[in-house]
Amino acid sequence: MANNKFRFAGFIRHEYLRFIAIACIILFAIMPLIYLVFNTSGNDLSYVFSDDNFKLSLGNSALYSLASSIVTTILAITAAYFLNTSSIKHKNVFVTVLTLGMLVPTLSIGLGIRTLFGRNGFIDSLFGVEIEGIGFLGLIFGSVISAFPMTFLIIYDALKYENKGPYDTAEIMGISRASTFIKLTLPYLKVAIISAFFASFTWIFSDYGIPMELAGKVQTLPMYLYNQVLSSYQYGRGAIAGLFLLIPAVVSFLFDLFFHDTSSTEKQKKLLSVSKLFNIITIFIVVLVSLFLFIPQFSFISLTFIKSYPNDMSFSFDNITNMFSNTYGLGIGQYVVNSLVIALLTGLLGTVFAYFLGYMSVRKTGKLGKFINLMSISTIAIPGLVLGIGYMLLFKNTTGFFYGTVIILVFVNMFHFLGSPYIMAKNCLTKINKDYEIIGETLGISKFKVLLNVLIPNSVTTLIEMFSYFFLNSMITISAVAFLCTYSNQPLAILINSYEKTSNYEMQGAISVLILLINVIARVILNVTSNAVKKKQKKEADSIMELSLYQFELLTFLEKNGKNRYSQRHLSDTLTLSLGTVNKLLNQVFDLGYAELDDNNNLSLTDKGLKALEQYRVRKAIILAAGFGQRLAPVSLNTPKPLVIVNGVRIIETLIKALLAKGIESIYIVRGYKKEQFDELLEKYPTIKFIDNDEFNVTNNISSLVKCVDLIDRCYICEADLVIKNPDIIRKYEYKTNYLGARVNETDDWCFKRVGGYLSNYERGGEDCYQAYGISYWDQEDSEKLKADLIKVYNSRAGKENLWEFVPLKICRKNYHVEVRTIHKSDIAEIDTFEELISVDPSYESYPGHEEFETKFSKN
Amino acid sequence: MDNPILKIENLSKRYGKNLVLEDISFEVEKGEFLSLLGPSGCGKTTILRLIIGIEKASSGRIYKFGEDISDLSPMKRNIGIVFQNYSLFPNMNVYQNIAYALKSRKLPNEEIDEKVREIIDIVELNEHVNKKPVNLSGGQQQRVAIARTLVLNPDIILFDEPMSALDADIKVVLRNQLKEIQKKLNMTMIYVTHDQEEAFALSDRVMVLNDCRIMQLDTPYNLYHKPANEFVKKFIVNHLDMKVKSIEDCINGQ
Repeated sequence: MANNKFRFAGFIRHEYLRFIAIACIILFAIMPLIYLVFNTSGNDLSYVFSDDNFKLSLGNSALYSLASSIVTTILAITAAYFLNTSSIKHKNVFVTVLTLGMLVPTLSIGLGIRTLFGRNGFIDSLFGVEIEGIGFLGLIFGSVISAFPMTFLIIYDALKYENKGPYDTAEIMGISRASTFIKLTLPYLKVAIISAFFASFTWIFSDYGIPMELAGKVQTLPMYLYNQVLSSYQYGRGAIAGLFLLIPAVVSFLFDLFFHDTSSTEKQKKLLSVSKLFNIITIFIVVLVSLFLFIPQFSFISLTFIKSYPNDMSFSFDNITNMFSNTYGLGIGQYVVNSLVIALLTGLLGTVFAYFLGYMSVRKTGKLGKFINLMSISTIAIPGLVLGIGYMLLFKNTTGFFYGTVIILVFVNMFHFLGSPYIMAKNCLTKINKDYEIIGETLGISKFKVLLNVLIPNSVTTLIEMFSYFFLNSMITISAVAFLCTYSNQPLAILINSYEKTSNYEMQGAISVLILLINVIARVILNVTSNAVKKKQKKEADSIMELSLYQFELLTFLEKNGKNRYSQRHLSDTLTLSLGTVNKLLNQVFDLGYAELDDNNNLSLTDKGLKALEQYRVRKAIILAAGFGQRLAPVSLNTPKPLVIVNGVRIIETLIKALLAKGIESIYIVRGYKKEQFDELLEKYPTIKFIDNDEFNVTNNISSLVKCVDLIDRCYICEADLVIKNPDIIRKYEYKTNYLGARVNETDDWCFKRVGGYLSNYERGGEDCYQAYGISYWDQEDSEKLKADLIKVYNSRAGKENLWEFVPLKICRKNYHVEVRTIHKSDIAEIDTFEELISVDPSYESYPGHEEFETKFSKN
Repeated sequence: MDNPILKIENLSKRYGKNLVLEDISFEVEKGEFLSLLGPSGCGKTTILRLIIGIEKASSGRIYKFGEDISDLSPMKRNIGIVFQNYSLFPNMNVYQNIAYALKSRKLPNEEIDEKVREIIDIVELNEHVNKKPVNLSGGQQQRVAIARTLVLNPDIILFDEPMSALDADIKVVLRNQLKEIQKKLNMTMIYVTHDQEEAFALSDRVMVLNDCRIMQLDTPYNLYHKPANEFVKKFIVNHLDMKVKSIEDCINGQ
């Protein structure tokens, strides 16, 4: 038993599984193409090249594909750009609506448009207006709608990963949205746009669903191929046409290969500020595009409930009932079963195989992996029609056990749609810690077991996504299977094609609706499953919840004072809470597992409690130290005020030490005036980081904060000229946004009132108020708001002349609830003038140039 | 001392033209704690990877108890390793992570349970047995990683900068625990770090590496008092002196 297992483990370690992977791709994806080439005779070649119909078809196809893909790409860029940039909610819903077209066969889209605009169509018969909907215009119309979802997703995905930093900077510099679109967005999107354009061109060029319904008299290449093979049985001629279909696909593939986007794979955060108008425009555009895309759906759904199109347009359920009683001799049930069997099998086998390929290409070293990767991705380039004929020619001798069975339909779908799920698997497996196999090896666990017990359980959502891709596409595809299915194993989508031949439009509509319905249900089920898995993972990850204020105070107290026998009375006194509240509070934190009592009644914080506190930990401090400090002249003529030594310690050091003592190690100092002198701080405090503000003398301190606006997040923002006497005013944890203030009777400094615990009436000079001290904390929510507001104000007229705190405390005060944190006047010494400096540190009496400066100063 | 537990002979490693290790030789005694210390890129991690067998040396041999293990697969060397990023299996809880290797060896359940409980006791994770890695702190995760290796009773455990992702205060605690475990089990450990303090606090001997070569292999005392060359002096002595100075500064400042 054990022996067998180990043999298998050894098997997977060796290279032959990789060779099997390569052999599979060659046999089922490459060989059919090669066979196609070998199957063309010289006769066929000369026939096709001299055939005027062929030239005409090729020209027409190129023409409408080009026109449609240009329109599609522009439309997709517009929708994607607006949706991505805007700050509207539920973007996912809009994305779902915009990509709904992916759930129906292209035949259905064509059908919808034709029954609306064609001769005797809805518009014709209702309004008597005949629009020439068939022909070039119809082809373009249908192609745009069918290619839009895919094109949109390519561009939208690319935008999601764009670094938004430059946009915020541009906003600070006052550059308009339109200009950033041209100067930043378009250059960034260049590769994605070209790639999307190629993808959409390839898709339109090789699709035969739209031409079959909408081409009218216009001859197209896919239809030429289709007719050569299925009507004239001229496989060789079809093959040559097929090779032409391959050209744009190969170009598109090579482009993606060489210009593959290697930029960030992390989703970027949102823009700081987006105007309401922009959001309204976005909704307008998205709704408009959605309505446009929905035209065919609307049309074929209506068609389903019409008695007999176009003769009797009255409402009826006849088509639905007919569908169940007798459809092409088999009854609709059989076709539904066919479709579901094919789609489910493709989903299962395809997912397993694509995941296997992903594993073989990224979880092992060596060149073979790269080769597998290249081959797997290259399958994207093969158009379904071409693959279908290739299979027909290559496998026709396998009748009975492969050709003519459901299995060949499953295989052709599997390899037709392999590329995208393979990339999903590859990305997922790349992200999983690459040391697991090594760890496994040192622990004596085989790679196969690591795959089974670690990698697969951590890929569940990706596996569902991959299955979903295979399933939905197998439900709607008509291209490859059209050549391979038999009378009895036809899937639903092909049935539309069959009804096309008998001009039974209502039935085509009804089947389209049925496919749409099945796909919507499948999509919903898969999404719900996937979300449930994600939710479960998330739940496991954050079983720690927000703390109430009292819980927070108790836990910080325990964190600070350590394990001890605290009486409830003692806690009640220190936390200034009633005894009853303390009692309730203790029961709460015991229940939640945040604190515990040992046998000796020692109260202490648990690991879970520590983790719960972690979310309130102050992440960093930004110290604004760029200014000149005029009133401290003459000392400040030589030294920036924060670096002035008071009683042997530099002013700013009192703050730095207090921060470090509380474990706040990310300290950013914005410097300007005599900035090079700050370097000496690095000797003692090597972790400090500097940000330079060279505009310190032409703007107010808002410019210093805007220089590091991205850093604002759960941080202290401090002035640099405060002498901290009581280091405990800096705390390791902070619950909410707050600003330091000391109660005074009268002051001519900046001060504020306290209303309901919150700061208000920030102004210069006042009575019976709180004097403001330039140290404040900004929690996560307020940090985000502050970033956006700072930029807005900074860009406004004369915005640069503000003190930064005007933004949250005066100009945009409605956006914030800033708590007042009271301190004693003695906790911080403010040294504003040279006289005050002397009174604190008498050694400055003999400061050189003091007297000279005095006289100069008084003269002025 | 007839057979050292580990003997490295003239080990070299190059990637193409790039030399990453040049002619390294040293021995490790049973129960010894050896640190490999040096700036990044000096080759210390490469030595670990060669000892464990994830990579093959360009030349030189590795002996364990006198037996040449240079060509054995990692699975057959009975050497454990603990990485900086913990690499715990995220879908398994603490118990399952530790038991996984034993389970895959088809040991009887009672035996597995006994061994796992014993190790969980040693690394003091009793309260966290059923937790998934996401719900553990960095220090706890690292202890699980150590336990996962210990449970197989390896001859040597290698550590690849296991504490560089941890907070300073937790580091000290975990460091002490590790030292305790090592003494209790008389385990041989080889520890890669770029932190001088950490190496000095833990090790019986420290190997200072620079530019793919051994600069000095000695006891912490000798490294500090008798640095063999300018590099060791700069990297060890000056650094530690500076630390002491800044501590003194702090005290004086207050």
